Amino acid sequence: MHIENHLDVINACRFCFMCRHLDPVGNVTFREADTPRGRALVADRIRMDRAELANADFIDAFYRSALSAANRFHCVSHYDETGLALAARRDIVEAGLAPERVKALARALEKAVFAVTGKGQTLYFGGTPALYPGCKVITGGDPGKALEILGFADAAKNVLARFSKAVAASKCKTLVVAEPSSYDFLKDRLPGVKVVHCAEFLLPSAVKTRRTRKAVYLESDILRNYCGNPSAPRQLLQKAGFTLVPFGTNDEESHAVGEGAVVYDALNPELSDKLCARVYALAADVGKALFITASASVRDTLRKHNPKFDIATLEEALSS
Amino acid sequence: MTPKNYLFEMIRSELAWAVGDDHVQTNEADRLGHSIDYYWVPECWHDRGQKPTPPDFVVHPGSAREVAEVLKIANTHKIPVIPWGGGSGSQGGALPIYGGIVLDMKRMNKVLEIDPVSMTVTAEVGINTQHLEWQVEKAGYSTMHFPASIACATLGGFIAHRGTGVLSTKYGKIEDMIMSLEVVTPTGEIINTLPVPRHASGPALTELYLGSEGTLGVVTKAVMKIHPVPESRKFHAFLFKTMHDAMTAGARIMTSRLRPCVIRLYDEPETAKLIKRVLGIDRKGAYLVFGFDGPEKIVDLELEEACKICRAQEHEDLGTEAGQTWWDHRYKFFYPPYMFHLPQAFGTLDTVATFANIEKVYWAMKNVVQDNFPQATFIGHFSHWYDWGCMLYARFIIDEPPQDPGEAVALYNRIWDMAIRAAIREGGVINEHHGVGLKLGRIMRDLYGPAFKVLEDIKRTLDPNNIMNPGKMGFPGKGA
Repeated sequence: MHIENHLDVINACRFCFMCRHLDPVGNVTFREADTPRGRALVADRIRMDRAELANADFIDAFYRSALSAANRFHCVSHYDETGLALAARRDIVEAGLAPERVKALARALEKAVFAVTGKGQTLYFGGTPALYPGCKVITGGDPGKALEILGFADAAKNVLARFSKAVAASKCKTLVVAEPSSYDFLKDRLPGVKVVHCAEFLLPSAVKTRRTRKAVYLESDILRNYCGNPSAPRQLLQKAGFTLVPFGTNDEESHAVGEGAVVYDALNPELSDKLCARVYALAADVGKALFITASASVRDTLRKHNPKFDIATLEEALSS
Repeated sequence: MTPKNYLFEMIRSELAWAVGDDHVQTNEADRLGHSIDYYWVPECWHDRGQKPTPPDFVVHPGSAREVAEVLKIANTHKIPVIPWGGGSGSQGGALPIYGGIVLDMKRMNKVLEIDPVSMTVTAEVGINTQHLEWQVEKAGYSTMHFPASIACATLGGFIAHRGTGVLSTKYGKIEDMIMSLEVVTPTGEIINTLPVPRHASGPALTELYLGSEGTLGVVTKAVMKIHPVPESRKFHAFLFKTMHDAMTAGARIMTSRLRPCVIRLYDEPETAKLIKRVLGIDRKGAYLVFGFDGPEKIVDLELEEACKICRAQEHEDLGTEAGQTWWDHRYKFFYPPYMFHLPQAFGTLDTVATFANIEKVYWAMKNVVQDNFPQATFIGHFSHWYDWGCMLYARFIIDEPPQDPGEAVALYNRIWDMAIRAAIREGGVINEHHGVGLKLGRIMRDLYGPAFKVLEDIKRTLDPNNIMNPGKMGFPGKGA
């Protein structure tokens, strides 16, 4: 089983409570099964008795996780608890035990087809092509990350292969990626192609084009906790004339409403609603500041559960 | 009770009516999570492939009124109710040893008021203490409650077990921090204790519930002191040739009535083992660190006076940096892999005593462990210092305990029985801030003597059906 490759995590986390205050799902459901300790205990029970892999409650525990890496970032030893959850999902899928809602989502994601349009030496993959004149644009959906986090490793590879083929056909050697999850997925998987996040690409040429406005930069779970916390998004916003105001009570919690799990809102809409409610409650403290996120999926999720919530992506904030 | 039993569904329906369907869990993942807390015995049980007893129901109440409803249902059906905060207690106090209802309080997590005039915060007690501290800090204050389990435990957990934080020497234990409580009694009445902790209006009811471990009711709300953020906090560390020399210096700091916020003294084995491993300070001897906080001028004066006391002994001055390093890494000791972990057997024999007795307690415990259990290593440090004494955080570690879970637990219990009774004989009190729980219940009669009957009478009067956390704190188990 894949979880057996994470024995260090199981042994470290199964009796450890030290990061539970940072699990975004645990913080809104209050359930022990929604903490890294709870999931490690479940994984350990499955490790001891493989028949338990079929336990629907245990399967649900892994698919409820928002895969926030805030816990791993906080841990002094950085045990990869999200890696354990992903391994468990792979075991579940490979045993043919994935819940129907997961399988349905996977079937839709497997259909992704990629196309390249436009002219230029640089390829852009995101939702705001107007910001990238002179770049080619690749479209077609998730490049495989979502399938991978659902546990469908082989299907993810197939989609990635199609994405890679389209990139290769474009002959571009630089790929600018907007969505953090896609950036995280692609950054080390396209040989011969430099993959950069859009904030890093836009930063050198950014200029102040608007009067100063207060904004909350809703930290990206993926950029902060999976990708080494690049400073480019914050620098970019400041350069463009935004005064960033603090949000929440601390800088450790993730308020990225399931960004780490990529398709969280589609998978667990009720839990997603609870994650959003926590953000809305905290937002009352910062008045009418615009919320800015690096992720279009975070924007969509927060808007879906409260259409009046004033939120834009980084690129939308720059172009508005 | 099993989910197939129709009585199970009848009770689940009643509970769901009381707190909402979404707040009653019966699934196996949640029940597994609540079958194990931070007590070594259920951890060992799980590690050896056994299944610790899970609760039948996990209930998340949202208000004192909902707690009251749940307790009334439990009284009707005579089902055990076990309050659960963060689950990080080390004494088995939150374990559902007879099944029943685990009352997980984490949904009651709101800060209700911060009073800047009286410097208090009112909060529901299911709040995680790190979240509480963050919210108080946002308002410009601090609870000054910084336990190693700050990120794990709830305010209610600290109240239930008389917990403490690293700055207890100046700011006190939780019982010194709490002003008043809202409590749901075992029969479902919602009561409030008097609003201030100093009065002459009879015995202190707040004190009755502090440390009651969910056996006398469910604490639902607390008013707690808060403090200004100090202008300065500084540390200094010394190394002494022996633990006795370091103890002499530490006791003199306290009896001279200086007011450190923290003192911690590590015996020679712990200095060699943990201080080296976690802080990278590789020296032989006993490591003593202390800190002061407040206005900088006062901090500097008090720090210098404390240093003078230490320099009067034979010492090595490690300076402020070695003290600050300890503070910066103070939680690191408790994360894996720095913390002891299964398959090791380990326990914390925490004991509090006067300065006149504390070293006798240390040696009595150490000798008992070393003489009777050669496979065990004994280490200790002294934390949480008072005007009159301090707490010994003694630990034993067995790297290769028996594989058989029954044998492992039996060995573990024998060490506790002998070490603790040795400590009590030397004037030690078990324990200082971890509580009693399941682990130490059998010791309570030895500790209290005839006075334990008073506690038993209170328990019987307040909880006639014995629904509240039966079998803990030395009180009768279910059906007793």
